[in-house]
Amino acid sequence: MEGLKVLPRDAVDSDTQRCRMGPTLMSRLGLRLGSPVLIRVLQGTCLCTAWPRPDLVDGYLQISTQCATPDLGTQALTGLTVDPPQIKPLKCLKLSCVTVKVFVQSPEHKRKVPEQSVQELLQGLYVHEGHLVDLSCAKAEIRFVLVEKLNSGSQKAGLVTARTRVDVSVIQTVKHMERQRLQVSASALGGVEDVYASLKEMITFPLRYPGTLRQLGLSCPRGLLLIGPPGVGKTLLVRCAAKDIGATLVTVNGPEVTGSRPGESEENLRRMFDRARAEAEEGPCVLLIDEIDSLCPRRTGSSGAPENRLVAQLLTLMDAIGSHEGFVIIGATNQPDALDPALRRPGRFDREVIIGVPSLLQRRSILKCVCREMPLSPDVDLNAVAEMTCGYVGADLSALSREAALQAMRHSQAGASESVSMQHFLRALRHVQPSCLRSSIGATDFKPISWEQIGGLEDVKLKLKQSIEWPMRFPEAFVRLGVSRPRGVLLYGPPGCAKTTLVKAAASSSHCTFLSLSGAELFSPYVGDSEKTLAQLFAQARACAPSIVFLDEIDSMVGSRADSASSHSVQSQVLSVLLTELDGVGIRTVERRSNGRKIAQLEGGEQEEARIHQMELQEVCNKDVLIVAATNRADVLDSALLRPGRLDQIIYVPPPDLEGRQAVLQICTKGVPLHQDVCLQDLAAQTERFSGADLENLCKEAALLALREEGLDLMTINQQWKPVEELELVKKLTK
Amino acid sequence: MNQELKTCFEVLKANKLLWDSGIDECKPLLCALANLAAQLKALKSVQITNTPLASFPSLHQRLHYKLSLAVDAVLMKLAEKMDVLQRVRDAVGQQVSAVFQFYEKNADTLDIAGCVSRSAVCPSVSDMFEWLQDAERYYRLQLVQRRNLLQTLTPSDLTLMETAPKRWESLHSASGEERIADAMCQVSFFLETE
Repeated sequence: MEGLKVLPRDAVDSDTQRCRMGPTLMSRLGLRLGSPVLIRVLQGTCLCTAWPRPDLVDGYLQISTQCATPDLGTQALTGLTVDPPQIKPLKCLKLSCVTVKVFVQSPEHKRKVPEQSVQELLQGLYVHEGHLVDLSCAKAEIRFVLVEKLNSGSQKAGLVTARTRVDVSVIQTVKHMERQRLQVSASALGGVEDVYASLKEMITFPLRYPGTLRQLGLSCPRGLLLIGPPGVGKTLLVRCAAKDIGATLVTVNGPEVTGSRPGESEENLRRMFDRARAEAEEGPCVLLIDEIDSLCPRRTGSSGAPENRLVAQLLTLMDAIGSHEGFVIIGATNQPDALDPALRRPGRFDREVIIGVPSLLQRRSILKCVCREMPLSPDVDLNAVAEMTCGYVGADLSALSREAALQAMRHSQAGASESVSMQHFLRALRHVQPSCLRSSIGATDFKPISWEQIGGLEDVKLKLKQSIEWPMRFPEAFVRLGVSRPRGVLLYGPPGCAKTTLVKAAASSSHCTFLSLSGAELFSPYVGDSEKTLAQLFAQARACAPSIVFLDEIDSMVGSRADSASSHSVQSQVLSVLLTELDGVGIRTVERRSNGRKIAQLEGGEQEEARIHQMELQEVCNKDVLIVAATNRADVLDSALLRPGRLDQIIYVPPPDLEGRQAVLQICTKGVPLHQDVCLQDLAAQTERFSGADLENLCKEAALLALREEGLDLMTINQQWKPVEELELVKKLTK
Repeated sequence: MNQELKTCFEVLKANKLLWDSGIDECKPLLCALANLAAQLKALKSVQITNTPLASFPSLHQRLHYKLSLAVDAVLMKLAEKMDVLQRVRDAVGQQVSAVFQFYEKNADTLDIAGCVSRSAVCPSVSDMFEWLQDAERYYRLQLVQRRNLLQTLTPSDLTLMETAPKRWESLHSASGEERIADAMCQVSFFLETE
């Protein structure tokens, strides 16, 4: 049998529980007049009584939502099609008692709702556990009733009669209910489970167990400061927690509060607190002050500034909530240092929770969350995506998945929806950059280079792989042997020997954040600016760890403290900053990230588990920043910089030897049509003391010479065009 | 079955008259109540010492007492009327649930096709059930609403008491009454047939 078309109800049937259907369907389902049926649709279920349509036509259904799950509205039903199996006849007995939650129209009626009138209103209705019964037809104070328990929990559905006892557990206002319904669902959150749990505990303890706390003689903590970079989900976290607990959320935004007239801002703030207080009388309430740094900046010396008064007002308001239990203040900020220090003490913001940039495992669970409703093709490996997206925060990851879905839409044929594949994710990765690197100093965009594109230098490559790639790839081995990855790598050697290219290859082979800083970006005419830039670069690199910071031509940046001439120069100041950043006492508390706690999730069998274990190890191994420096004058560097613990791997990049040169020549001539008489081995032998850059130039020169002599329609290059001598000449002149 | 339905409709018919008369009788009482409220209000605002009546001792309290007594008396009468209305509701409710139970007992012999078949003189069983249920629900909700209205009336809020007749009128639902009247018309032939 085909599906039944859902029509809106007739006016006659409004405020009844009747569900009109064709008589044929009724007899097929074995229904009598007025038998209770449970209709299951996508958004929820509703309990109705079956009734034949007055015109006795089959194929249509008119559903009453008088007793339905709270999320099911009448508008959700229009245009739906319901299959007959979705209609389930229920066996409903008469109930002896029912426990309900009552929602009344205005708050002044909260105290006096007689159970008698609830009973009278419910009489004759079939009710189902967890359903919301709409009683607004009676135009009485009681608008909705949420059925909590039937016959003390032994039954799921039943009929309320004149002999049913009705117990009212809680009375709340309709406004309260609607507000709770509007709040976002908690499932949209991933990767912040530990912060979420602590936040929830902190909110629920004073709200739920005020009695116990009073018995213990504790004053419950009432303030919480959430600190974290933008986009990690501070606001969302609070919303979800409030929804989960069933608390009302009152949000205060800085700009909303600030008024133009003197005293207006303070008044607005007081009004917000009054609102929260009024809500708190109805049930748990959370007051969220978003971007609190704009509202409550550090008080300056000049008294009388309007901000100072606002800060003072906030402080007194926060102190005054002592008597109002059941009301928690949460402040969210990304610049905790800009806050007034008076706010950050127990009694005001008792606790501070730092949400860092998500780590690998957190990114994985965030990706799982944001891609839950997306049709993913089987080749998408979210673990791999998580590995590639270091430095991405929650907002970036959701932007990434959105972009990937858009890519898929763009490539799919009109109408046919294509599932999102890995290729779409890779393309989206190019468009969406991590937000913490958007305004960064050292963020660089470069063409990825593979190790194979560098000829020779095998042992240098191996060493670099060891210090950069291996800790990412084989964390188990590193943990097993107790080896930590090196802090810094110094590459030195004559110019043109592919030092920079080596670093590029290392950065593109490991999916680290890659930040590069040159002297031009570092130095500025202002005193202290260079040092600040460098410190900021390291802070950003730590936030996006694992990351590589590349300092090219480090000798020009830092110099040495040994030669007395530059002992007070900018260079030596920068050097001291670099030394402390490399191996200081610790990091600032604000930069703290998740402490790599083991998250117990057992899903997807052994293989998945092994993968998670590996990811955990990888996280433990790679939470630091790796410095890669390159120079061709290693002798002028300060000796403090070269000790183990700072730049502990010092790698000499030599000019290529015979085989190296041959490999370089091979790579350089890959795109050049060579004549048969060209012998690369011979060429390599002839080009003693040529560097990689020289060899590349040689090939270019040869091609240009050939073009000059033979005309533009030349096909192959012969051995006879020997630019070697010419180049040798040039080199001799320059060196 | 038809017999049961017939008796049920007879009861409904009788009770409908009772209900209507009950509602009508309440109207003058509510007007009286509004009048009393207006008087009480006036008493509150007037300064008796400034009037020629100042020489009467404790006139204010006495008047207030008198008026309060009158209000109480009217409210008592109204409560009696409400009892009448409640009896109507109970009677209808009992009758409807009884006929429904009768149907449930005999539902195996009476299939859906039988329930929905109707003729010129005899409406279908399902239609009649629907009308009965609607009537029962109408009386029940009306009673709840009207009783709610009376319960909100307190001597402390005189404006509320003054507007009571208007609100009493607004509770009257023409469509609901019409539906019951319609139903009674539709079953009139059915009731007359033997």
